[in-house]
Amino acid sequence: MLTLHSDTLHFAFPEVHKKAQCSVKFSRTLRVPDDQRHYLVPPSLTPIAPNRVDDYVECLPKDWRRRGGVFLPLYQAEALSLSFSGDYPFAIKIGAGKINTITGEPWQNELSPERQDYLVSGRNRFHDGFVVGQQEVRQFVAMPLGEGYTAEEQLTGLAQHGGLQILAYPMKVEAFRTRFGAWADSDDEYRSLDINLCRPGKARTENAEMGLAPGGLVKQKTLRDPYGYDAWDQTRWERCFIHLLNSRQYHAVTGVKLPYPPPGVRDYKNWRLPWYHHYSEGEPVEGTGILAKLASVATWFKAKHGQPLPDNDPPGPVAIRPVQSRSIRSG
Amino acid sequence: MAFADYIRDKRETLRSRDRRYSLRQVAQRIGVEPAYLSKIERGDFAPPSEEKIRLLAQELGEDTDLLLAMAGKVSKDLQEVIRARPQLVAELLRQVKDLPDDAVQHLVREVRDGDW
Repeated sequence: MLTLHSDTLHFAFPEVHKKAQCSVKFSRTLRVPDDQRHYLVPPSLTPIAPNRVDDYVECLPKDWRRRGGVFLPLYQAEALSLSFSGDYPFAIKIGAGKINTITGEPWQNELSPERQDYLVSGRNRFHDGFVVGQQEVRQFVAMPLGEGYTAEEQLTGLAQHGGLQILAYPMKVEAFRTRFGAWADSDDEYRSLDINLCRPGKARTENAEMGLAPGGLVKQKTLRDPYGYDAWDQTRWERCFIHLLNSRQYHAVTGVKLPYPPPGVRDYKNWRLPWYHHYSEGEPVEGTGILAKLASVATWFKAKHGQPLPDNDPPGPVAIRPVQSRSIRSG
Repeated sequence: MAFADYIRDKRETLRSRDRRYSLRQVAQRIGVEPAYLSKIERGDFAPPSEEKIRLLAQELGEDTDLLLAMAGKVSKDLQEVIRARPQLVAELLRQVKDLPDDAVQHLVREVRDGDW
């Protein structure tokens, strides 16, 4: 069952286990300078509340209605961060324009037995971009479809899907009990969240789609699956198409304005926000090299307009906060 | 709380902070006579039409469905939903009757996966 709770997408498989729940949040974050340097993870801002496509069905493009799912507002060239929470392990596949963000291969619902094309929730709390190396990702940056920037367009030559796709497989219950012992069936309850219903606006929008393009480099490991391919219950899955809507059209569709424009490096410095150095134990996936060959937004912009990407200055010295990745407790 | 008491309380609370919420001005904005609104607030008259309740809800910053329910009315859009599939909707409502709020919210906030 996939439900929307305020600012969270909630995957739940009560038929598998009462704890088989995983929440996904989407946060606006700083677009790090796209200058081939490696940056630490910038702090995310407030989570963005997704809206159900079905709540605004009269105002959205036909393709969106066909795909279902939810939509998120983003400013053009704004960076997006995904975070995962929940005590039950899930194998989570993520696509951008139906391009797998870990391998760069075309979207498939199934897990790949040969090469890890998913991340494991709990082991990985964040996913900020396309995996381009063992310890680096290129940030997810929202760009309009049709201008060539997105990973989808660079790899397929088509601006067909856009958005973001998420599919979650729970761990097999036997594997969960074996690995997590008595705690697996203890009475620790997952906390439910409040619900916030939105009111539809009146404007109708077409051609509002955005996709995700590779931005600046961020140091982030995507850790290998420690449980193995056979641990996942591939008979059960839920998936969601997350459409990305330009902030202006979002206002026209929902009547809600985004609270503030995307902050830049200078704002982050003025607010004295620390950047994160994540320490996580475990082997990272290597990436396939397909995504590493993509042109970043700044490269593409310069080729297209003959001038550097605006607001792309390096931050200078920043405050750094070390963060230890939380791992799921094993019993 | 009855419809009459509820809207009078809400309007009076707003009026204590802002004079534009006097009986006369609110009546004017929703397009009824002040005497008529006064009688509704006192419970002398039955609640007004759906259209006026919608305007009143908007005016007082209240939820339209809540005010309609307090007035013992079902909005036109919900009537259409029921008319389209009367048995199914009736059965659904009977089934959710005793569910806790969070379970009902789970039900209505399920995200549909489509064809992609």
